[in-house]
Amino acid sequence: MTGLETRGLVIDVPGRSAGRPLDLGITPGQRWGVLGPNGAGKTTLLHTLAGLRPPRAGEIHLDGRPLARLRRRELARRLGVVFQERHDDFPATVRETALIGRHPFLAPWQQEGPEDLARAEAALARLELSHLAARELATLSGGERQRVSLATVLTQSPRFWLADEPTNHLDLHHQVAVMDLLAEQASQGRGLVMCLHDLNLAARWCSHVLLLYPDGEACWGPAEAMLAPAALERLYDQPLTCVEVDGAPVFVPRR
Amino acid sequence: MITGRRLLSPLAALALWLGMTGLVPATATAEVCVTDDADREVCLAASARRIVALSPGVTELLFAAGAGDRVVGAVSFSDYPPAAAELPRVGSYDRLDLEALLALEPDLVVVWAGGNPREQIERLPGLGLPVFFSDVGDVAAIATSLERFGALAGTDKAAGTAAAELRSEVATLRGRYAEADPVPVFYQVWEQPLMTVNGEHWISQALSLCGGENLFAEEAPLVPRIAVEAVLARDPEVIITGGMGKADSTWLEAWRDFPEMTAVRRDNLFFVDPDLVQRATPRLVEGTRALCAHLETARGRR
Amino acid sequence: MAGARASRIVLAPRLRPLAGLALAALLAQGLALALGSVSLAPGELLAVLSGDGEPLHRTLVLELRLPRALAAFGTGALLALAGALMQILLRNPLADPYVLGLSGGASVAALAAMLAGLGAALVSGAAFVGALASTLIVFGLAHGGGSWTPTRLLLTGVVMAAGWGALITFLLAVSPVERLPGMLYWLMGDLAYASTPWPVLAVAAASLMVMLPLGRTLNVLARGGLQAAALGVAVRPLEWTLYLLASLLTAVAVTTAGSVGFVGLMVPHMLRLRLGNDQRLILPASLLAGGTLLTLADTLARTLIAPQQLPVGVITALLGVPTFLYLLHRSRR
Repeated sequence: MTGLETRGLVIDVPGRSAGRPLDLGITPGQRWGVLGPNGAGKTTLLHTLAGLRPPRAGEIHLDGRPLARLRRRELARRLGVVFQERHDDFPATVRETALIGRHPFLAPWQQEGPEDLARAEAALARLELSHLAARELATLSGGERQRVSLATVLTQSPRFWLADEPTNHLDLHHQVAVMDLLAEQASQGRGLVMCLHDLNLAARWCSHVLLLYPDGEACWGPAEAMLAPAALERLYDQPLTCVEVDGAPVFVPRR
Repeated sequence: MITGRRLLSPLAALALWLGMTGLVPATATAEVCVTDDADREVCLAASARRIVALSPGVTELLFAAGAGDRVVGAVSFSDYPPAAAELPRVGSYDRLDLEALLALEPDLVVVWAGGNPREQIERLPGLGLPVFFSDVGDVAAIATSLERFGALAGTDKAAGTAAAELRSEVATLRGRYAEADPVPVFYQVWEQPLMTVNGEHWISQALSLCGGENLFAEEAPLVPRIAVEAVLARDPEVIITGGMGKADSTWLEAWRDFPEMTAVRRDNLFFVDPDLVQRATPRLVEGTRALCAHLETARGRR
Repeated sequence: MAGARASRIVLAPRLRPLAGLALAALLAQGLALALGSVSLAPGELLAVLSGDGEPLHRTLVLELRLPRALAAFGTGALLALAGALMQILLRNPLADPYVLGLSGGASVAALAAMLAGLGAALVSGAAFVGALASTLIVFGLAHGGGSWTPTRLLLTGVVMAAGWGALITFLLAVSPVERLPGMLYWLMGDLAYASTPWPVLAVAAASLMVMLPLGRTLNVLARGGLQAAALGVAVRPLEWTLYLLASLLTAVAVTTAGSVGFVGLMVPHMLRLRLGNDQRLILPASLLAGGTLLTLADTLARTLIAPQQLPVGVITALLGVPTFLYLLHRSRR
């Protein structure tokens, strides 16, 4: 089958008992949101799905092949990751940073060509970063830096996006712009998995939702079924008020 | 030992020509061979006329062997005899300027085996320079060094006289003090860190010649670093030091902090000119005489 | 501005700074051949270089100055290259080739060899073995539980370096007084030990050949291990390669000239301030700039207070520190 599939997957969160094994099927076009309180293992799950850390149990298959058997380069051509943490220890420009998204597609001795550069420029334009292309990363604001990370994965153009808090540091306008961009990617046949803190973004943009509880318990399914106030209140241990705006549920914490 | 290229140098050619015309003794052109202190055979086709000496002590020995006018280069602090102070320098003993050394076009380089950097010395033969390794450890070696330097420089007569004089003076001293009472001595080489000499050092041997007993003779290193406590524990009757230069008594005064020591109680704190004892050269006889005089003074205060 | 910057990433203009640095390297070699405690007129130098000239001048230039100038270049090149690689490996622009205790291992072994009274060749051999032993110990310990991170590697290395430092002090304390000057010069870094330039030059050239195709991959690794892995880099094998290669380069450099400080830390850093962090440019540029810096420094060390000779490490720091601070001050990064 095509898609990102987990079979009996147990992520390895140190000091936690196994919890519920995950059997997820993420197919192209789906927009998955991973919700959970701090420490529930959202980032760990994302890294495990990306093959960056081994699971405690179970398997992950990408388009029918076990992830562990794919070479990193092959994997990177199909699967891109937006990280929450970044290491900008060395000087680099915005353009150079977007351009590394082409790395998996170039042979070691190959230089980036005009076509690679055009892809990077297009990604920067899409994220409204063209005017910053020659700037040093160190001189950017947090939100601008976040958009550069998205531009890198957009340049990479993978079939599956794993995005850890893609709207981190972004102002309202850019939050919406980024979620629109991701939705557009999904509509072009790409699969999305996003760790989100904002219930309302999940409610508005996700087709599927995975709820991760701190004790390892989990449940998943179509968004409208999962976003039940009772389940969410238990998830965050926080009373919520739910109203409906423009046909989507909106959750507000109760005082 | 000597390469063809060196033979063709103008000076060597001149020497050859002078030899043929009988203006210098015939021995000057005959091959001379001596054994150096690294047990290597050093042979020169003609006696050395351009010698570079790589330690102050070696320079002094060469002058004493009558070869002073053949020394064309020396290292820093080569200040005795005064003529040596005027010589062109080829760096310091611990770091040589090989370029300056080569530029002097020496026909013999006398190396201080224990002090010069090996990695630099090892290059000299490859650059076509005959090398004599000098490592003088005692009075007997000073005498034979004089003789061998004389042989290499063609100043056998002067060198022979100097060596004979040295041996007889030492024999005289030995005779005079053969029956002298032993005196426990601490010889201080340096203050920070505190250093002395062991029994193999010529200073220790000079002391024992006139009845001095080096309290640290059994230490393994030639110049051991020791603790003040060790000196106090062995309670020397005499403390002698060369200090940092002429008549510098600050190191000696420091010992007065320990009035319970025999040496301090009897005021047996003596200074010797370090140049006379800390270089293995014929001046060591003079230094030995000074050491012996101090020991005699100490015996008088018993 | 933006356009020029764009083409810089993609195209040949990387060659321009490299050509400039190559020219500087050649000039430095020329200067090293021309200067010494014996002064040669330009005509005399040219005569020697054209296969002519007086025998003494030929010996001075061809047997003393040339091998030493080439060895200085090769050593500087290796150190700068090793520094650049170590900085990427540890994702820390302040790493240098010695940060993982490698020079300490080399120094302890070399000093022990000197203490045992061994000759120059054996001292060099001991330094090499010591450097590699230190590398393996640090790597083995950092590897320990199975996972290592750059931080763990760095911490292990720094602690090992402190241990080696204590051993060095111990060896200096128990060594006979007459051997101390040689040991101190070795510790300060000194090219009087370099008898032949070919090992350093060959290793420098070979390692550049190995690393250049990896340049873009290293750029990605500089963004962090996870990011690099997500972009298709086999991080662990690459890090092994980097570590072993940087160690080998440093070991060869230390073997040739003792532990010359400063070059490995500052040269890649200075170049990054001017040229950005594209390893395909930074690695060859480090090689050229490191070689040039050490050649100039050694020439000064030989001539500044001739016939007294200074250890080259003193000069690299005296030359490099103000230059570095000036560049840092001027840069807006």
